[in-house]
Amino acid sequence: MRIGGVLNILGKLLLLLSLFLLTPIPFSLYFQDGMVKMFLLCSVLGAIMGGTLLAIFAPEEELGYRDGFAVVVLSWLGLALLGSLPYVFCGAIPSFIDAFFESMSGFTTTGSTILSEVEILPESVLFWRSTTHWLGGMGIIVLSLAILPLLGVGGMQLFQAEMPGPTKDRLAPRIQDTARILWVVYFAFTLIQVFLLMVGGMNFFDAICHAFATLATGGFSTHTASAGHWQSGYIEYVIILFMLLAGINFSLHYRAFAQRSLKPYLENEEFRFYMIIIGLATGAILVANMGHKIYNAFGDNLRDTLFQVVAMITTTGFGTADFDQWPSVTKVILVALMFVGGCAGSTGGGIKVVRFLLFFKYARLQLRSLVHPRAVGAIKLGNQKVPKEVMISILGFFALYLAFFLAASLLVTSMGVDIVTGMTSVVATLNNIGPGLAEVGPSRNFGDLPQAAKVVLSFCMLAGRLELYTVAVLLTPDFWKMARKPIWRWEFNKKLEDRI
Amino acid sequence: MRIMIVGAGEVGRHLCEKLSVEGQEVVLVDEDEAKLRRLERELNILPVHGSGASMRVLEEGGIDRTDLFIAVTDSDEVNLIACILSKQYDVESRIARVRNEDFYSQSGQGTEKALDIDLVISPDLAMAEEILRLSALSDAFDVAEFADGQVELLGYEVYKGNPTVGKTLQQIQAMQPQNNFVIAAIIRDHETIIPRGDDIIEAGDKIYLVARKKDIMDVEAVFQFTSHMPKDVFIIGGGIIGYTVAKELERKKINVRLIEQDADRCDWLTGQLDRTVVLNFDGLEGHDLLEEGVDQAGLVISVTDSDTTNILSSLLAKHHGAQKCITKITKPDFIPMLGKLGIDVGLSPRMVAADMILRYVRGGGKILSVATLLGADAEVMEILVTEDREDLIGIPLMELSFPRDAVLGAIVRKKKVIIPSGQTKLKTADTLVIFFATSAMEQVQAYFG
Repeated sequence: MRIGGVLNILGKLLLLLSLFLLTPIPFSLYFQDGMVKMFLLCSVLGAIMGGTLLAIFAPEEELGYRDGFAVVVLSWLGLALLGSLPYVFCGAIPSFIDAFFESMSGFTTTGSTILSEVEILPESVLFWRSTTHWLGGMGIIVLSLAILPLLGVGGMQLFQAEMPGPTKDRLAPRIQDTARILWVVYFAFTLIQVFLLMVGGMNFFDAICHAFATLATGGFSTHTASAGHWQSGYIEYVIILFMLLAGINFSLHYRAFAQRSLKPYLENEEFRFYMIIIGLATGAILVANMGHKIYNAFGDNLRDTLFQVVAMITTTGFGTADFDQWPSVTKVILVALMFVGGCAGSTGGGIKVVRFLLFFKYARLQLRSLVHPRAVGAIKLGNQKVPKEVMISILGFFALYLAFFLAASLLVTSMGVDIVTGMTSVVATLNNIGPGLAEVGPSRNFGDLPQAAKVVLSFCMLAGRLELYTVAVLLTPDFWKMARKPIWRWEFNKKLEDRI
Repeated sequence: MRIMIVGAGEVGRHLCEKLSVEGQEVVLVDEDEAKLRRLERELNILPVHGSGASMRVLEEGGIDRTDLFIAVTDSDEVNLIACILSKQYDVESRIARVRNEDFYSQSGQGTEKALDIDLVISPDLAMAEEILRLSALSDAFDVAEFADGQVELLGYEVYKGNPTVGKTLQQIQAMQPQNNFVIAAIIRDHETIIPRGDDIIEAGDKIYLVARKKDIMDVEAVFQFTSHMPKDVFIIGGGIIGYTVAKELERKKINVRLIEQDADRCDWLTGQLDRTVVLNFDGLEGHDLLEEGVDQAGLVISVTDSDTTNILSSLLAKHHGAQKCITKITKPDFIPMLGKLGIDVGLSPRMVAADMILRYVRGGGKILSVATLLGADAEVMEILVTEDREDLIGIPLMELSFPRDAVLGAIVRKKKVIIPSGQTKLKTADTLVIFFATSAMEQVQAYFG
């Protein structure tokens, strides 16, 4: 592993993020919340951090397969660190661990918060909070692949490590073009949603913050009551629609747009399975809620149920209803949905629909081979045979997932957190959802958890967003044994001078 | 430009590497999925799994948007079929690698025309050509031609005691009345330097000179290099390469001894060749080689099918006093080590073929030709000065803000070659031969648009 080259790229990404730290300034000026200097300071600090890394470590051309993992994980840690500064400096979140939790929750599009009242944050900081969602949703490394020429050959590895899903669609031969297409689709959806929300009566500020949070499947709102604040059916349905879209593979959106037809969606087995799950879950919860007479009007029931189902499966985690008050069976369904997550290549978290689909197909194949021991079986997705390595990586993923889940639950509950809170907080963070149940339910927050638990959960968020493997591989000693001495900048410069 | 390459072998891989680094959109088609996966991880390419001779696979790779189609699998038939299939689509040019001699027409470009393929390339014939080019000069280890052969690029190694050691380029230029050469690149400790006037030549440097063909003698006199055709040449291996080289060398009245272990092949060779002495024994029979006088040979060319035989026979010949050897190696990764072993030139037919394809690919547009300096991180490009380049025309060269790590080696003006100095001014329709470090490719392309 070329640690020097990795840190050099981290430096560049920090510089990029320090530019984004300037974006809340117009809002600060408009709302007169006095945060202009604070954001300037954060941006300068970011530039200093990035610049220092660049001044120490020279670029290394041949970043390999292994370096991709380190680049992605270290970058995410670095970005979350830099992104937490505004929370600390604005004075609203004095504890650094709390701020880091909030920032990590933002970038990983989790949406868990430690604030009981989000309104205490100045508007510009709220905007920053939503911006972290938006950047983390499609991935800041994918963004930098699209707009910066910083990565030549090793780009595929970075793309692989940051985009969710067991296999990746290449939309164009060059990785830069693929990344660009995805970001353009993402950007276009954001604009459309901002427009539709404003039509529904939201002001520009709330609309942009909610669009960021929806398309990234994050879940941060500008109000404590989340999307329920507006009490508007229209706004809730707009958010449902865009959550649904954000949970679908973005290459399908592009293909459908390029072909001007819905065929790419309908032909995609993962998409069909995703819609079936949503349909079944919504139906079941509707019936359960009716049985327990939670709602008087069917329309309210349908809207809230659909909203919660979509918010959970896409791992957005917006709330319009306090589902902690719903019957137990619905809670079980919702927690199960949390594990499923969005489709591969979407901005959603969780295990991903396609992994479940293949997992079930694998189980069915095993059953079949018990009945027909000599039958030759293959697992197909659409018309394509799924390669063996992909199947093995999926089984490995489930094993790793279980390990992370148990280890984190053990750690959190050992700190004196009760079982429902402890386990659902791990589920909610590992799957990048946001709220869990009981103490961390939709109407509560993560603020009262022990500090150490917040560190564990922050780690869960990162591991979940990068789909375990990338983070887990950094925890293996073998990985670090292969580290090489960095090329220092001064050596590099001297070499350059010698050549001239 | 969107390029589709069929076949992820040595040639395909090399092409992918070069073209994707340049920022081209490269699609690679191959039947070996594991290989594709590995290449996908290393290179910025789109892998497509399947046979290149299948319409479905080609369409999956987006052939309808492809500009250039290159078929370089191990099978001649697949390559030809793939090229013919690609005619169904709007592909601008097609290149096929064909090994079997029988597919070549006797005269001119019959096969190319009949099949409507722009370039049919045989690694073996390309290799034979390259060997012939390199055998022409004894001191030079690398030769390339530009501007229709009027300008040559020659590589020399500067040894201790050479009069130019310790002098700057300016001092060397001052040693002679008129400016007739440019030092385009220096390779020092495996690093390529594009030199400036105040760079100093050190012992052990490999230098690349650009000169007019007719001035070569004068230039070599300055550096005390000598050049002549070898009198006695040994060729070990009587395959296509060995045969083609022998045929050409005997036409030049050079004494050729061709060693081939297969008796039937020897029979055939004797029938085809006139002055060449065909010898029937294994290339590793050191005793027989010495008996035939390999120690006296000016040049030993080892081109059997076995890398081991080629390397060992070259080492043997060098050890006993042969002046120079050219050795065929199938695995290009080993070429950099050969210099340390004392082997003068190591060539891989596939790399030679890949470089030839690259040269052809870059032929379009304003950039006229690029040759990769073998074993060096430098490239050569021919660029046409168009009318609208007012920022270049009529200004003395020393005042131009030429990209760093790039040097102007020669100017071709109305079919005449000018070796430039700082005072030279460019004119419209000049062709510039530019040398640059591969890392400066982007700047050079940006500068010359």
